[in-house]
Amino acid sequence: MSRRASPIYTCQDMSQLLSDAMDRTLPWHTRLRMQLHLRICLLCRQYQHQLTLLRAVLRKSGNQLTEAEHTHAPGLSPEAKARIQRAIDSHDR
Amino acid sequence: MTDRITTDAQSLIDAHGDALYRFALVRVRDKDAAEDLVQETFLAALQGTYRESGPTAERRWMIGIMKHKVIDYFRRTSREPIQQADPSGLAAEDTFLDDGHWKPEAAPMQAWTEPPDRLIERRQFWEALAGCMDRLPPRAAQVFTLRELDELETDQICELLQLTPTNFGVILYRARKQLRDCLGSRYFGQAQEGLNA
Repeated sequence: MSRRASPIYTCQDMSQLLSDAMDRTLPWHTRLRMQLHLRICLLCRQYQHQLTLLRAVLRKSGNQLTEAEHTHAPGLSPEAKARIQRAIDSHDR
Repeated sequence: MTDRITTDAQSLIDAHGDALYRFALVRVRDKDAAEDLVQETFLAALQGTYRESGPTAERRWMIGIMKHKVIDYFRRTSREPIQQADPSGLAAEDTFLDDGHWKPEAAPMQAWTEPPDRLIERRQFWEALAGCMDRLPPRAAQVFTLRELDELETDQICELLQLTPTNFGVILYRARKQLRDCLGSRYFGQAQEGLNA
């Protein structure tokens, strides 16, 4: 990430690395340097917490996104329903 | 006598059509494609054998079929170019100072203290989240939903959508950050203002 020789990542480096760490195991030295940064940086700790919270909520109950009582998102249009019904009927015969 | 669902198509569509459609739409982000996937799912469901009973089990079963249909869809379409909107989240230069520190106005200043179990109960949270996800560029929404809703592994998604690992990392980084920024202002920001008032 950072091409600088500094042993401490910047917050900008951290924002990418914290995301990467959710998808793959990073090398141990990278994780160590991340820990150093997190220890001294409240904002990045909060950012990490927020990303983790978002994942936890979605993985626990992501289907609520598409359940009717939780969304104003439109369902199938009447035309689409009729079309699908016709497709099923003609398939049955 | 098989356990084939013999209820008429109409009642099946009424019971599950909307949920299946939204399930597909949030993933593929294309109305026509989502409608086609609903139709394919019903056709597959009507040909399959169904052994459990009750509307909840029935829904779970149909969602299971839909999941496979969505994966097939991505496999078919991953080579087609996707209309890529500009990421609508804050750009790096709007978020970070030249020295790589958070800009005060874009920093994650609020602690999100509501526990996941409580958030899940809140209708306003799901509305805010759905609204925020709608604003993700299509490709970002696809990668994000496959990873966070369907819990596919990184290499599976890269293969499915023909992405390099680097691309994948950048897309998810931007998607997560955009969602964080959006939820911060649409949901948590309001709570924060309420507390300060």
